[in-house]
Amino acid sequence: MHIWRVNVNTQSLSKDPVPDAWDRLGGRGLIVQMLLDEVPPDCDPLGPDNNLIFAPGLLVGHKLSSCDRISIGAKSPLTKGVKESNAGGRTGLHLTYLGIKALIIEGQPAKHGWWALHLSEKGSRFEPADNLVGLGVYAAAALLNERYGEKVAIALIGPGGEMLMQAAGIQNTDNENTPSRISARGGLGAVMGSKGIKAIVIDAQGGEKPPISDQKRFREAQKAYNAALMGHPQTQVYAEYGTAGMTKISNAFGGLPTRNFSSGQFEGSENISGENMRELLLKRGGASKTTHACMAGCTIRCSNVFGSDDGDSIVSPLEYETIGLMGSNLGIDDLDAIARLNWELNDLGIDSIEIGAALGVAAEAGMMEFGDGERALELIAEIRSGTSLGKVLGDGVVSTGNELGIERVPAVKGQAMSAYEPRAIKGTGVTYATSPQGADHTAGLTIRAKIDHIDPQGQVELSRNYQINMAGYDSLGACLFSGFGFAAAPHTIPDLLNARYGWDVPEDILQQLGRETLKLEREFNRQAGFTKVDDRLPEWMSREPLPPHNTVFDIPEEELDGLFDW
Amino acid sequence: MKVTAHLHTILQRHTPEGLKGRLDVNIQPGSTVEDLIKHLEIDLEPDYLLLAVNGRVAPLDQVLEQADHVNLMLPISGG
Repeated sequence: MHIWRVNVNTQSLSKDPVPDAWDRLGGRGLIVQMLLDEVPPDCDPLGPDNNLIFAPGLLVGHKLSSCDRISIGAKSPLTKGVKESNAGGRTGLHLTYLGIKALIIEGQPAKHGWWALHLSEKGSRFEPADNLVGLGVYAAAALLNERYGEKVAIALIGPGGEMLMQAAGIQNTDNENTPSRISARGGLGAVMGSKGIKAIVIDAQGGEKPPISDQKRFREAQKAYNAALMGHPQTQVYAEYGTAGMTKISNAFGGLPTRNFSSGQFEGSENISGENMRELLLKRGGASKTTHACMAGCTIRCSNVFGSDDGDSIVSPLEYETIGLMGSNLGIDDLDAIARLNWELNDLGIDSIEIGAALGVAAEAGMMEFGDGERALELIAEIRSGTSLGKVLGDGVVSTGNELGIERVPAVKGQAMSAYEPRAIKGTGVTYATSPQGADHTAGLTIRAKIDHIDPQGQVELSRNYQINMAGYDSLGACLFSGFGFAAAPHTIPDLLNARYGWDVPEDILQQLGRETLKLEREFNRQAGFTKVDDRLPEWMSREPLPPHNTVFDIPEEELDGLFDW
Repeated sequence: MKVTAHLHTILQRHTPEGLKGRLDVNIQPGSTVEDLIKHLEIDLEPDYLLLAVNGRVAPLDQVLEQADHVNLMLPISGG
């Protein structure tokens, strides 16, 4: 495996051996080490000193179920701190087939222009992408597939990234070449835009799977992991209902963000539930699918295709975070309306969590009525047009709150909270407050823990354990949902790593990777100027009681500050 | 004594009227959450379930009261 380093100023590629310090890292853990080694923490995230990094996790490349995720990272223009955002799709798998341990995109173009970066066995080449400028990701990906064939993987930005919006993500194509597996969070699309790259096309033809040191041992561990995963009842829940199964759970706990985080229960929650969505999709048929794999080897298949009454696809996938932020948080109880909003944001290449939160703030400021899906579409059209208002919204929830003078802004470290109300699910509130990633939906959710979620006792320890495990999984390239299988057969993690690489890692390698990753991320943020003041929820959440439990966020600050003392 | 059971995702019931996620259940006074699970003939190990009474996580031995709302869930997360 090699490090491929592309300089957009010189349009050159160097393929370097992997330094020892990076050898045993992957995904999120590798990204933060590379940032600390090469990116000044106080640099301009959209300037020439920031690097955009694509790093497949340590287990990527073998179609191991739910373990082919791509981590993308940089210094975040949204949080101004460390950022890793991972996604399914083909990008991770195809990079490993070319022997790429990590791809670094560095520098800034000498003169403004847009390029498609083509990677193959022959190396890299820059091709003019003027014909793609201004296009949404669906049209742009279709043109790229027309030009480079159906077998390539594509990572690309939409108009949001081109306009350097801080809520812009990077879309990855899936097996059907649908460009909707988004590394959404933290404005990584703007970093890619700042480097003049509209798309990265990865042609892995002629490449091969990464080597496995001990095939027999790898297959045995794979079999044990698959059996544990498939034997777990949660796998069936994800397969049949997807993450949308969360809607009613959050609502039951009074933790479903509603009308700009002013309530934890939504009267329309049944309509937007995973249970209702499944019935609707089964009835509609046509393009609708209740289960779909976002990665080639995934056996969970938690994704879906949300189709319309007339049998066409509206969007794929429709997931819980979007349902929470674009549904209940906007007072919208209609899945069709949410799906259309989701498609628009996907096409713009923009994070639906960040914009859902921003529109909630905009609604509170009187820019739209809660429940008015058509008005929400109009506001998203402002983003596409790049109007002044559109740019404010496209820069996310903090930007929107500042511009419109609204105090109730649900964000930490500049990034919008996901669809778990931290005053009702306090362990997740601890994660939002303390994660080096900002308020993030993949950093350590705690809702499935058997703990009284509104009692402040025990939440810091709970969050710590989840954050460590998640940072570990993100370094393996493993989906959050693989965790049910790995938790039931924990020995398979060291077994897979040892068989793949010929290492001798300890039983608790997942936690070791997690702890080391979090420590390095904290260090990057410290050097970027973060202090403990940044590890807090917004003050209004400690003052304003949340219905129906009428609780505030009341975890003592000294407990939050002790989270990383392990 | 009547309580309301909210059955999530794969725990929903197929009935002649269609799939049902909410059932009003008559149980003996003094019944626990575990008794309700048995009454509903849920064949998963209780350890797999996340249980909440009136919006708060509850243990298996919690005694139920008239008009309680009990959510029976498979504990997923993510999105």
